[in-house]
Amino acid sequence: MKLAILSESPADEAALRVLAGYVLGVPIDRIATNLRARGWPSVEQILPFVLRHLHFNTGTELLVVVVDSDDTPIHTPDHDAPGYFQPQCRICRLRAVYRRTTRNLPPVHGRRRVLRAIGLAVPAIEAWYLCGRDTSVTEEAWVTGLASGRLPYTRRELKWRVYGTDRPSLPFEIRRAVEEVSRHRGDVRRLENDFPSGFGSLARDLRAAPGAG
Amino acid sequence: MISAVQFRNFKALRSTEVSLGAFNLLVGPSGSGKTSLIQAILQLRSLAEMIDQPPVGPLTPPSAGPQIVFLFPPPFDGVRVSLGCAADELVCNRLTMHAPEPLARDAWIALRPQLASARAYLFDHYAMGRPSPRLAVPELASNGGNIAAVLAAWETNAPDAFRSVQADFCRWNPEFSKLRVAPGSDDTVELVAQIRGEEDGVTGANLSQGTLYSLAILALAAMPDPPSLVCLEEADRGHHPRQLREVRDALYRLSHPRDAGVERAPVQVIATTHSPYLLDLYRDHPEEVILSQKHGASARFQRLSEVPGIEGQLRDAPLGDLWFSGVLGAVPEE
Repeated sequence: MKLAILSESPADEAALRVLAGYVLGVPIDRIATNLRARGWPSVEQILPFVLRHLHFNTGTELLVVVVDSDDTPIHTPDHDAPGYFQPQCRICRLRAVYRRTTRNLPPVHGRRRVLRAIGLAVPAIEAWYLCGRDTSVTEEAWVTGLASGRLPYTRRELKWRVYGTDRPSLPFEIRRAVEEVSRHRGDVRRLENDFPSGFGSLARDLRAAPGAG
Repeated sequence: MISAVQFRNFKALRSTEVSLGAFNLLVGPSGSGKTSLIQAILQLRSLAEMIDQPPVGPLTPPSAGPQIVFLFPPPFDGVRVSLGCAADELVCNRLTMHAPEPLARDAWIALRPQLASARAYLFDHYAMGRPSPRLAVPELASNGGNIAAVLAAWETNAPDAFRSVQADFCRWNPEFSKLRVAPGSDDTVELVAQIRGEEDGVTGANLSQGTLYSLAILALAAMPDPPSLVCLEEADRGHHPRQLREVRDALYRLSHPRDAGVERAPVQVIATTHSPYLLDLYRDHPEEVILSQKHGASARFQRLSEVPGIEGQLRDAPLGDLWFSGVLGAVPEE
């Protein structure tokens, strides 16, 4: 499958490549490498340009986009109801951008449009890296903390737990990211269980792509 | 090493104070005092090199002339070192210590070598690309002009540092497979970067501006015997925005060596930038960013972490965009 990844850093991209491969279960032909965004809301701003570029200039079949939730609401099944839009939910917002951008694109390269797989790392991608190793880090723990006003951990604390510092070098960050997601050895059920909204959405989008294993 | 600096009537810094941490990134318009802070530190360094025992006295309010007061972390938090001069003098060259004896004498003995080792850099790629005479003492010049000679000395005397620079240089610039230092004429040495997959090498004079700046940053980060304080002007200069993460990491290797797996004393880093892309990378560390605010002919410093509501603002926009927009200040007056 011809896949592109829009991420904030080479470390995120390396981890997402591994995870997408686990979910898809088919060989990935990564094209249009090195798409980068400067974090939210830059992802939302550049997504239309990225989609049009991939659509017209490449043979990309599927675009993977993952953003951090920070302390915004997570995506829930209610949001998937027809016509529903939660204005603070980053998955809802990115899906809306995708719909607006791809609505009137003409078919090119033998396909109608580039498909999308959108994930939300709650609150940051380091939470996914800790899945199965630190049972206190889950979407449920984060949502409960948000509701009570007592967050169970911070972005900085998650970095410390993954890297042993909140100032990791880029090569070290890439190495740790790949090490941690590779622990799942092709089985992402634990990630889908602990992060049903953010990772679950991504996995469902990936599996819905034609040609997914 | 320096915990804070207070300014009175020093250039545009009429009345302000800046606290300093292990890493400090200054942003602001031209004339807002970023370089003045570095000049004040360099003046302190020059006087520390010359003065064996400075006069000790009470810290008095300044007259009309400029005054710069340096504060230090424990165990020297009771010590002040001031630079001052009369209103009609151009250079603050009167150094006075303010601390009870014998603390003042002991403090100076301990602080003097640290202050004297402070260094400031503004790299010049033309100078860096030229062949350089071999060095007896391999210390990087303030413009990086002797970098070939420094690396040649490290290759012999500090091979770990040399190999670290080599490896990181090729990682940052993957078109090259090797960096070496070749003998030139008249006992000089010059840089040669080997093009990957080819026999040809590119000499320093033909390396790009950004490639030479990346080498200079890597040499700073790998110094086997670094100074106690490093000031770096225009840390982003010549670097692609995507490479700035590596620049940040290299500077962190100086200020937070343990985080990078390096066992040595931390180096205090003061860097300046005009790049919103470099600033973006400090979203998680607003305490490391200093805004230089300019109002008319005067300027003052403010920590980004002390800006009211900054955490909320950082959720909704990249830090560099916030700065550019003007909501944080530290932009040119129009």
